[in-house]
Amino acid sequence: MCKFGKFLLKFLGIALVLNIGLFCAFFFDLDGKLLFNVVEPFLKDHYDNMERKDTLKTPYDIHKFPKYDYDS
Amino acid sequence: MDIKKALKDFWYGKPHTAEEGGRRLGDLHEDKTHLYKHREWRGFKDTMYYFYMIWLYNYIFMVKDVMVMGGLVNFAKGVWRYRWVGQTYLPVLHWFDRGLEGMRGEAMKASAWHYRAMVSTTIRQFQRMFAADTRLHGGKQNDLYKHTIAHNETVWGGVFYPWDGEIQNVPLEMIPYFVTCHVNSHTVLNYIDAVQSIGLPGDPCPMCQAESGIFVLDDVPDYAPAVVTCNEACDASVSTSTLQDWFFDKPLFSLPMPMIFDDPLVKKYCMREIEELWKFVEQQYGIPFSWEKLVKKLEQQNELQRFEWEKWEVAGKSDYYPINGVAQALYRIYQTQYGDWEIWHVTDKKVRKILEKCVSKKINSFPQTRHRVIAWSCAPLYYSNWCTWAYNCWGLNVIINMDSLMFDMTIRTDSYEHTLEDMAQYHMWAPMRRMAVGGMRHMFELWEYMEKFNCDMVAMYDQLQCKGVQGLHGLFEDEFRDRNIHAFWVPHALPDSRTVSRAEIRRLINDYMTTVMHEEPLDPSLLDFDDSMTW
Repeated sequence: MCKFGKFLLKFLGIALVLNIGLFCAFFFDLDGKLLFNVVEPFLKDHYDNMERKDTLKTPYDIHKFPKYDYDS
Repeated sequence: MDIKKALKDFWYGKPHTAEEGGRRLGDLHEDKTHLYKHREWRGFKDTMYYFYMIWLYNYIFMVKDVMVMGGLVNFAKGVWRYRWVGQTYLPVLHWFDRGLEGMRGEAMKASAWHYRAMVSTTIRQFQRMFAADTRLHGGKQNDLYKHTIAHNETVWGGVFYPWDGEIQNVPLEMIPYFVTCHVNSHTVLNYIDAVQSIGLPGDPCPMCQAESGIFVLDDVPDYAPAVVTCNEACDASVSTSTLQDWFFDKPLFSLPMPMIFDDPLVKKYCMREIEELWKFVEQQYGIPFSWEKLVKKLEQQNELQRFEWEKWEVAGKSDYYPINGVAQALYRIYQTQYGDWEIWHVTDKKVRKILEKCVSKKINSFPQTRHRVIAWSCAPLYYSNWCTWAYNCWGLNVIINMDSLMFDMTIRTDSYEHTLEDMAQYHMWAPMRRMAVGGMRHMFELWEYMEKFNCDMVAMYDQLQCKGVQGLHGLFEDEFRDRNIHAFWVPHALPDSRTVSRAEIRRLINDYMTTVMHEEPLDPSLLDFDDSMTW
């Protein structure tokens, strides 16, 4: 078999395996199961424990910016 | 085993109804989480289309969008910093699944293109936020920051058309709040609880609560030097603006949405407010107003509206409309509120082809329709896909909804005065304003649209925490009786799935369909299931 033929077969083989793998992930909702059971809990834990600014301590200075004048 | 039937099911998918053997969509899901045991087999062609052209295509193009619109580094930083993006948008393909469940052929394709456009626009917005965000860039105000303007999500993006290509408008809440509720209903609860934790009572509109809560939890990117707020559809949101003014701490322009908007004097006032807004933008950014840009963008937006009218014509006068209720509703409100953008035109072109094919070949994409439904008032954001369930379970086909109909107008561009007048009209017909709290005349536009879309049933949303609509519940009941219209109520608390669960909404519809309509479900496996933990 020529070099190109071998390459083509190899390429088609890889493409086929990749397609079958991706289809299994799709059909059995492996993306959903991963996101729901692993990724989301991990991220939620991260967000729940993040240090956050206490926004209530932000002074509410309503005169900070120049007064807006309407055209009369 | 009946080989012939198995082969037929493999090629065409199982039939919809229980009498024909039934596909039993309810059995595909795990209890509580509602994750799929396995995704639906829609027949060979449709399953392959869903796999390649929806699932794989959207995963690939989401990555592409992220890379092109701001880059992977900004995205990763954003995901790590902001809950609303990390917790919400990763499972976006399951949002597709919920909306497109049971769809076949052209309905599946056309509806999916609508979802694709919304995903792309969502990515574009949050990537712009992250690329400009001083918090993700060591406090630096980069060039993108200096050319971005923040605004309330119900301020129509069209008011910024005069600066197209120079200033990018990015709504404050559309992506951190509104879209999250549809994709992952859990995220928003953090923000509602946050604002109540500082003393706000639990009964105001949960939309206003959530929008304020994002600020309370310090979860808003600092992506623009100035902000435009408004009172949204109701004056409860005025307090949202106050909290935003406090926490965002930027030069702020408040663009009011008049409550009584049929008065010509009010329109004059509104026109003047828009002009004042333009002056504010010019002052803050130092970039002059461009009439040419405004006209160009408005013409493009008018083009979108004209296609929408063509779609409505098909929806109202035939059975060949290929877009399902949830795709119609979300795409339309997203497009009309955010304003003109290239992706809408690309999508409309694709949908036009499908629409024309359906009409010319007389393809009925919803062959199990028993009732043509119009959905009125504001929908539950955490269960916008209830209409997909309702079609699959009961044959209730939501043809059109109130949110799609609010901006039923093009904008004249023949003179400055006409343009401004129409823009004011558009602004005043804001989401939830015109037909939800816009006075009796507009709320009762329902009857006209019901006729126009040839509907025989109403799904009446009842936002339990909207004080504006509550008082009208009885009036609608009276009208339904007088006009002999079949109508069922869908109570909900907009983003908050804890007040009325999805299961409760389904139970109420099931009750109506069995006790009032005396009908049998098309797919009994969808009558009662536990999806209490689902996204």
